[in-house]
Amino acid sequence: MLEFLKAHFWHPLTHVEFRINRSDRWFAFFSLTPALLVTILVVFLPLLYALYLSFNKAEVMVVGGRGSVQTEWAGFNNYLYFLKDKSFWQGVRVTLYFTAVSLIIELVLGIIVALVLNQEFYGRGVVRALLILPWAVPTVVNARLWGLIYEPQSYGAMNGLLQSIGLTSPDNAINFLTSVPVFQSVPILGQITSWIGSTSAINWIILSDTWKVIPVVALLVLAGLQTIPIELYEAAEVDGASAWQSFWLITIPMLRPMLLVILVYRTMELFRVFDILYILMAYTVPVVAIRTYQEAFAFGLFGRGSAIAFLIGLFILLIAMVYINLINWEED
Amino acid sequence: MNKKICVTQPTLTRRDFLKTIGLTGTALAGSSVLTACGGKFSTPTPEIKKDNTITLNALYMNQAGYSEKVLQDIANRYIKQSNTPVKISYTFVKYDELHDKIVTSAAAATATFDVILLDLIWTAEFGRKGYVVPLDDRITAEVKKDIVPSIFSAFVYNNKTWAFPFLANFQCFFYNAAHLDKAGFSAPPKTIEEWYDQMVALKSKGVVKYPYIDSWNQKEGLVCDYVRLAAQYGGDLFSDDGKPTMDKGAPLQALKFMRQLIDEGLADPSATNTDEPGAMNAFVSGAVTFNCNWTFVRGNMLNPKVSKIVADARVGLLPPAKNNPQPAGSISGFQGLAVMANSKNTDVAWDFIKFATAPTIQSENLESEFPVWTSVQQSAQAKKVNPDVEFYATNLANAHHRPRVPNYQQVSAIIQEEIHACLLKQAKPEDAATSMVSRINALES
Repeated sequence: MLEFLKAHFWHPLTHVEFRINRSDRWFAFFSLTPALLVTILVVFLPLLYALYLSFNKAEVMVVGGRGSVQTEWAGFNNYLYFLKDKSFWQGVRVTLYFTAVSLIIELVLGIIVALVLNQEFYGRGVVRALLILPWAVPTVVNARLWGLIYEPQSYGAMNGLLQSIGLTSPDNAINFLTSVPVFQSVPILGQITSWIGSTSAINWIILSDTWKVIPVVALLVLAGLQTIPIELYEAAEVDGASAWQSFWLITIPMLRPMLLVILVYRTMELFRVFDILYILMAYTVPVVAIRTYQEAFAFGLFGRGSAIAFLIGLFILLIAMVYINLINWEED
Repeated sequence: MNKKICVTQPTLTRRDFLKTIGLTGTALAGSSVLTACGGKFSTPTPEIKKDNTITLNALYMNQAGYSEKVLQDIANRYIKQSNTPVKISYTFVKYDELHDKIVTSAAAATATFDVILLDLIWTAEFGRKGYVVPLDDRITAEVKKDIVPSIFSAFVYNNKTWAFPFLANFQCFFYNAAHLDKAGFSAPPKTIEEWYDQMVALKSKGVVKYPYIDSWNQKEGLVCDYVRLAAQYGGDLFSDDGKPTMDKGAPLQALKFMRQLIDEGLADPSATNTDEPGAMNAFVSGAVTFNCNWTFVRGNMLNPKVSKIVADARVGLLPPAKNNPQPAGSISGFQGLAVMANSKNTDVAWDFIKFATAPTIQSENLESEFPVWTSVQQSAQAKKVNPDVEFYATNLANAHHRPRVPNYQQVSAIIQEEIHACLLKQAKPEDAATSMVSRINALES
């Protein structure tokens, strides 16, 4: 791990060319100080405190009219508790499922939308502006909105729509957010979906979450598309390349750096998904962020809550390392 | 791979920057001098009054209980009559967020909230961890005498009282009389067995697709319904010495009955992701015949703005099993008002609680909530406003408590997970019950 970090993040000063003099360097440092102080105060200190808590049995107490977190050294017990806990690993699987499926849908649909918006058509500017609207909806509002849409009774919006087009009847309202694994009754498939936590609820929630995020993915891809020189397509056309060949051999390779940025950004976001799942399903979908919140705030076990938070950080670091390798492979 | 970082000379030099800072500083200093001299450039300085107004921050839920309007009215009236200049600022959250907000408030050196709504299940946890102030030296014997002992004792832990009763919340049996009439029944069921027969008839005669709905999503409401059904079968989830007993007797019968209702299509399968307001919505829309729910349903089912069954909606006794000698079986959801121990305004906070929980205030809001005071429950006014007061009183008298243990949140989470898995047909009732017991025992050890 240390070797990896050294190789990718450590650049000795001897390899850095500075063309600013010593006094200007002090000036630069002086200018950065306020931001640095704020970062230390609101990021690094809480992080260190959380790390300290993760090695303690910690709970909130009020003593003498003053609230505080009381600690008792516990070593690695909090970490071991989760590593030995089957339900924690089930949570990791559900989180990976949510992340992977959401990423695939977001990327595929985001690229399709971006390709359409990259074409010339009447009203393209308006469509591009309107596209960003779902992204502007706050996550909590988005969750409540989809909660109304997925209402399991006949008066739910989605059920109403299905009834109005004749696909269901008022007596057969669909229970979208049920926690039953998909294909539960199919022998082997049911066991697989149950193992990875692919329930009807999580799949419909993935739809709700991707609805909000696809616009921003599409806009990022669109930005990438506009940097591809048109000459490449013209040359390909002269060489007799089909549209599919142009897309696969020009567009995708040229978009790869942007796609990697989207992958890294969205993976971080998706792996720690909380809001939409908590609002719609409380603790029913056991992704790791929900478990963290439950341990810390519902059970009042802040040591365990901090430990699981660091485990999530570790998972994200591992995924980031894979992505960084991909980027480096791309550069080489 | 070594990367080269090239930092170019900034276009704004240090000298330029310092010049700008100097000029801005001089200008600011100059303007301050001008202001101090009081010349024509100065603006009149307002006279600063020392404001002694105390702001009480209160945390309440906007899911059930008194409405925001009623609470705001109580606050306004308190402010008018108070000798201390005081402002009251409410924060309304969903019930599920209440506990976590209180814990966060307790973690701060000074509490974010001075007054909180305390559910009886948190009494042991909050009392043990000192989140709230004990109120024993502030409550007189006369006051205690006028409150039903089962309600008052819900807020006692380690021989100390940690909250003052505010909501006499418990579950009642709500049914649609028109549906029963269509199915050929003239009265609501008197026993669980009769209830089951009525549900079968309602379904087979096509009166409704699902006769019953409840709040069986994986939340606290599911534990409440399980405790209530166990009470209907005449038992509790824990023995008197605090040992879990879900794998036998009444609790096991209750779980088997819940699963049977799902298996036979008598309970709406969407109950597994429905909370209490959701279950009430299904009931007042006329989609189902029965709903066992908290007292807030009554106000809604009789409100033509939200209910389609105003003329047909009724309240009754929660039917006990044939072999249960009690006239009903219910679950308590009592909630009290408490003072945060890290509040800086504990005296004013208690003064407000005393006002808000007074019999006069509760007797003015009988439409929405059942009072905690015996004298108000038995008043002619209560009987006039709520003709079902007798049913209410019987359900209340037969309400069972959830266990009051400091690690209740963990116990509840285990019960929720196991029952929910059972209702989703992922575990047999016996297996779910055994697992519940072993996991809870593991917590204790």
